[in-house]
Amino acid sequence: MNMKSMLLGLVAATSMMVSTQVLASGGDMHLKHAEINVADQEQLLRGLTVFTDVCMGCHSAKYVTYKGLMDYPELGISREMADELRGDKALTSGMTTDLSPEDAKESYGKVPPDLSLIVPGRRGGADYIYSLLTGYTHDPAGKVADGNYNEVFPGHLIAMPDPLSWLDHDEADTADLEKQANDVSAFLAFIGDPHQNERRAIGGYVMGFLLLLALVLFLLKREIWKDVH
Amino acid sequence: MLDTIMKTKVFGWVDRRLGLEAIIKSQLTEYPAPKNLNWMWVFGALAMTVLMLQVITGIFLAMYYKPSAMLTDGGFSVAFDSVERIMRDVNFGWLIRYMHAVGASFFFLVVYIHMGRGMYYGSYKEPRELIWIVGVVILLIMQGAAFFGYLLPWGQMSFWGATVITNLFGAIPVLGEYIGQILMGGFSVGDPTLNRFFSLHYLFPLLLVAIVGGHIHALHTVHSNNPDGIDLDQHDPKNVVTFHPYVTMKDAFAVSVFLLFYSYVVFFNPQMGGYFIEVDNYVPANNLQTPAHIAPVWYLTPWYTILRSFEVKLVGIAAMGASLAILFVYPFLDRSKVRSARYRPMYQGMVIMFFIDVIVLGYCGHSAPTETLKLVGQIATAYYFVFFLALPFLPMIEKTRPLPEGV
Ligand code: HEM
Repeated sequence: MNMKSMLLGLVAATSMMVSTQVLASGGDMHLKHAEINVADQEQLLRGLTVFTDVCMGCHSAKYVTYKGLMDYPELGISREMADELRGDKALTSGMTTDLSPEDAKESYGKVPPDLSLIVPGRRGGADYIYSLLTGYTHDPAGKVADGNYNEVFPGHLIAMPDPLSWLDHDEADTADLEKQANDVSAFLAFIGDPHQNERRAIGGYVMGFLLLLALVLFLLKREIWKDVH
Repeated sequence: MLDTIMKTKVFGWVDRRLGLEAIIKSQLTEYPAPKNLNWMWVFGALAMTVLMLQVITGIFLAMYYKPSAMLTDGGFSVAFDSVERIMRDVNFGWLIRYMHAVGASFFFLVVYIHMGRGMYYGSYKEPRELIWIVGVVILLIMQGAAFFGYLLPWGQMSFWGATVITNLFGAIPVLGEYIGQILMGGFSVGDPTLNRFFSLHYLFPLLLVAIVGGHIHALHTVHSNNPDGIDLDQHDPKNVVTFHPYVTMKDAFAVSVFLLFYSYVVFFNPQMGGYFIEVDNYVPANNLQTPAHIAPVWYLTPWYTILRSFEVKLVGIAAMGASLAILFVYPFLDRSKVRSARYRPMYQGMVIMFFIDVIVLGYCGHSAPTETLKLVGQIATAYYFVFFLALPFLPMIEKTRPLPEGV
């Protein structure tokens, strides 16, 4: 066996391990798939509305400023809209909830986490958020109070009360609630890494350039080595 | 082009004062490299490339990064906030940060392959022992630099990883507790730890640059080994090519291919599914809440498995230390006169097993511990040491294949 075939073998072995590992980390909870597109302005803006109307009652996204909402081309909201959203907060202020940590602790027993990085910061990412929002059910054991039992939350006992009122919703509302959950997941996925679309776009050019460079250098190397035997 | 530059007046002026021409000749245009070197010999140049990328991106990150654990709104910290500032508000900050974070993983990937090459072709053996030994020093410093750097974003994994490792020192008798406290700057990982880790994280790569200089100097004294592991007359043009332009062009092509892989990850998959940037590190450090599963980043997991393979913590620490220390004496444990595994049938099998063994160790160290994995880890740990300790006895039973006359 030479070093090359050996390396290939190692790579294959490693990637097998990596893939079983990734499967394993999905673990026992089966996440639903979130239909999101972080480059879809309409979905992101709908998600923003869900975020400000529902989530921001308790959660902040302190790393996202109102000015940022205007500046990110994916959102591109108008100055008027930004003014409306921020109320009396500064344009450069982060999107912070008006619920004080003390009050939150008193009402829910916990301070709700900041959501700026919730998608990169949770296994399953946007799928997890979507599954969580549509994961409220009755506790099969009948112990946990309604609204505090969630299928995908680790340990199932969740302090956040069913924000989209998913539990026992009317059949007719399912599509709408799923859409809200998808939209806000998309928004959260976007703000988790707000330069991701730009990054992928630039990445395409970088890869193109490097391919060309590699080709030129390959030909150059071959030319220079052609009389070495 | 080099010729044209060397004929200019300015070059002549500098040359008379620095002896540049002699250096260029002896190190580049007339420095001999075996002409049968295969692609495994490009990884040294790749390691140098990543080292440079890390230093440059690191310098820019340090312009915006703030090493302070002081709490800010939402349970974050000044340090965590400053990293998010870089990711969101600094022009192309996201690029610099991802290049640096992804670069750390690529650095280890490249250096591990580089070491594997040396092990396979016997580059650590006489007369290249010091190249190898300096290399092991480099490896230790790299691991230190990575460990220090990982604390800086002050996320959950940063905090708990550093806590687990610094606590290890506490288990060492007599001096352990003291060393731990010196490292942490207190009795637990906190703001003083963050400050000194930042300082050391800046220092270590600069040490690396200097030590890599020594590594190359040692190499240029004894010259490169080759895939056949045979001694070559370095003055015979039948055996060698000049470093420039032959090897420089080969390396340049290799660098461009490397950059393709690296850029793919940086631009399209910087977290690499939690392997390069761990999910839990997007959660701010919280000293009251231990993450469900603490594991070091992939490149440190083989050693973590060795550590965890022993019931008694102190034995685990000793084993982990020994697994690194044994690398220093590797050139002296191996007593075969033949270098390359190509001509050593038994060693060849053993060293390939060793590579697989290290991957298995890494896998076990990354996964949540189970009984089976623990056993697998223990067996892999045993083989890790058996590999080295069997080397002195190998020449007694190994029938090596005849070496080729030349290249
Ligand atoms: C920052 C990390 C490192 C850099 C920049 C570096 C750089 C280099 C370079 C440029 C070469 C010559 C080209 C080549 O043979 O690939 C080389 C050779 C070598 N390196 Fe490294 N190296 C590093 C780490 C290590 C480590 C960790 C080890 C082993 C523990 C090591 C062992 C060797 C050996 C044995 C050779 C001689 C190879 C031969 O002639 O066959 N190096 N290194």
